[in-house]
Amino acid sequence: MTGEVIACYSEELTVAEELVRLARSLAVDEASRVRAIVLPGAPPEAGDRLVAAGAHAVDTVSGPASSDPHVTAEALRAVIAELSATIVLLGSTKRGREVAGRLAGTLDLPAATGVNALRIEADGIRVDREALSGNAVAVERIARRPGIVAVMPGTTAPAPSITAGAERRQHTAPSSPALTELVEVRVKAGGQLEIEKADRIVTIGRGLKKKEDLGIIESLAKALGAEVGCTRPLAAEAGWLTDDHWIGLTGHRVHPKLYVAVGVSGAVQHLVGMRSSKVVVAINKDPNAPIFIQADYRITGDLYQLVPAITKAFGG
Amino acid sequence: MVEKLRIWVAVKHGIDVNLTRADRASGLVRLDSAPRKTSDFDKNAVEEAVRIREKHGGSVTAISVGGPAAREALREAVAIGADEAVLVTAEEWALWDTRAVARLLGAASRTLGGFDLFLVGEGSTDHFAGLVGPRLAGELGCADVAYARHLTVEPTGVLAEKDLEKEVEVVRARFPVVVSVGQEINTPRLPTFMANLKASKKEIRVLSPTQLGVAPDALTPSVVIERVSVPEIPRKQLTISGASPDEVATRLREALRGEGVVP
Repeated sequence: MTGEVIACYSEELTVAEELVRLARSLAVDEASRVRAIVLPGAPPEAGDRLVAAGAHAVDTVSGPASSDPHVTAEALRAVIAELSATIVLLGSTKRGREVAGRLAGTLDLPAATGVNALRIEADGIRVDREALSGNAVAVERIARRPGIVAVMPGTTAPAPSITAGAERRQHTAPSSPALTELVEVRVKAGGQLEIEKADRIVTIGRGLKKKEDLGIIESLAKALGAEVGCTRPLAAEAGWLTDDHWIGLTGHRVHPKLYVAVGVSGAVQHLVGMRSSKVVVAINKDPNAPIFIQADYRITGDLYQLVPAITKAFGG
Repeated sequence: MVEKLRIWVAVKHGIDVNLTRADRASGLVRLDSAPRKTSDFDKNAVEEAVRIREKHGGSVTAISVGGPAAREALREAVAIGADEAVLVTAEEWALWDTRAVARLLGAASRTLGGFDLFLVGEGSTDHFAGLVGPRLAGELGCADVAYARHLTVEPTGVLAEKDLEKEVEVVRARFPVVVSVGQEINTPRLPTFMANLKASKKEIRVLSPTQLGVAPDALTPSVVIERVSVPEIPRKQLTISGASPDEVATRLREALRGEGVVP
């Protein structure tokens, strides 16, 4: 298809930049345009940064800022219609997926979320997305335009050439009342750790008997120069560690050089979070634990004996 | 306060990801013959619906859009405590995408008297698109709250804690509202033997898209799943053992130094 108009939006500016670079890397013709949408509440430098990421044009919507998904979807709807967008790229963040669904429902458009790659082909847009709790890759074809594609944060694409004198267009937000009222925002405790960026991770699972024992895991992590990760039960159920340590389908996806899984059984929903690790060590007392299938080095035994010994071996 | 709270909850009879294996040679997963079960978060949605009814009264209607085997998911919902069970099905159900599912959920609730609160799981265990709840709300033009980890019913709507990556938003929405819930909202009860027995006898209302006034054209897939494969990540699967923990530790250290992944 010639003359694609690819509209990119994410509430996270870094993700929006990734979307713009990705859009520019798609095989499209000279007539195609990558347009970045900036909604009220974005930082003042958003437009410049999106041009620097490669946007041909920036569409800035003015109006009151809102976290209501309906207000966001309505603002996007108006701009998408005005631009005659053929593809709408959103970030596959939690907010991004919600807005993707809302927009798709309002406009009766096809949508795909959790997308890692997309290709524009003669018979539609093909996307690679996670399936089966993230352990499989599904190839899906979006048969109609415009298609809404929510792309996983962290997607990389080569830096494109910058458009000199990129177009800047102003839009006014439609006056859509919010359907939800924001009562309070609570910033999550912890939340400072960016475990996605860690080179080495020591992850602890339900093999740990009590919270006080976290010390031996922290010592091992320190000796290895690693961050501490955990499985869902330790963060979401026991609350022993904050959510920023949580690795898995509904937690964080990591890709370190070294991943040491201690007392982690290896549920499918955890494996999706760590399968991109380069070298995996698993320590578990159960020789049949599924984590061992994903391990390069398998150690069967009691973590309470092994972890201090390994810490010592690394000078801790 | 609404007089009699009409609670709807959607359940998907999805692919059991823990039992699904890819074909060894091709790496492909055959979706049509894969084992199925009730999607995990949908059980949380049913549990939440039943708890709300136990506290505030009203009725819980469980609905599934899918094949004949989806009756299993509905029976499970009834065993947890749903009052009514509705199956929307047709021969081509396996082709239905999130658009078709959201449209059929909306049409069924409209046909059967509407809802005040529609609960869904925030994503299905197999597809995990997270689209159906917001899509349904967008189509109906009503409020939606996704990723709820705590829900309180108030006289004219709900107060929900919306669990985002870095913050929790407390939001209020008026009825009718679609709320998608995560695993953190509750622990679904294990139905008793008697509850299961009773659920097995519960009549399930079966409806076709035509009966709901949805033309087949409106269900034509807009997104087509072409192939699903499990990428092979080669792992060495080497066992490290030794006479003592210290010996194991030393061997591991040498192996990891050899890999160049430790300082």
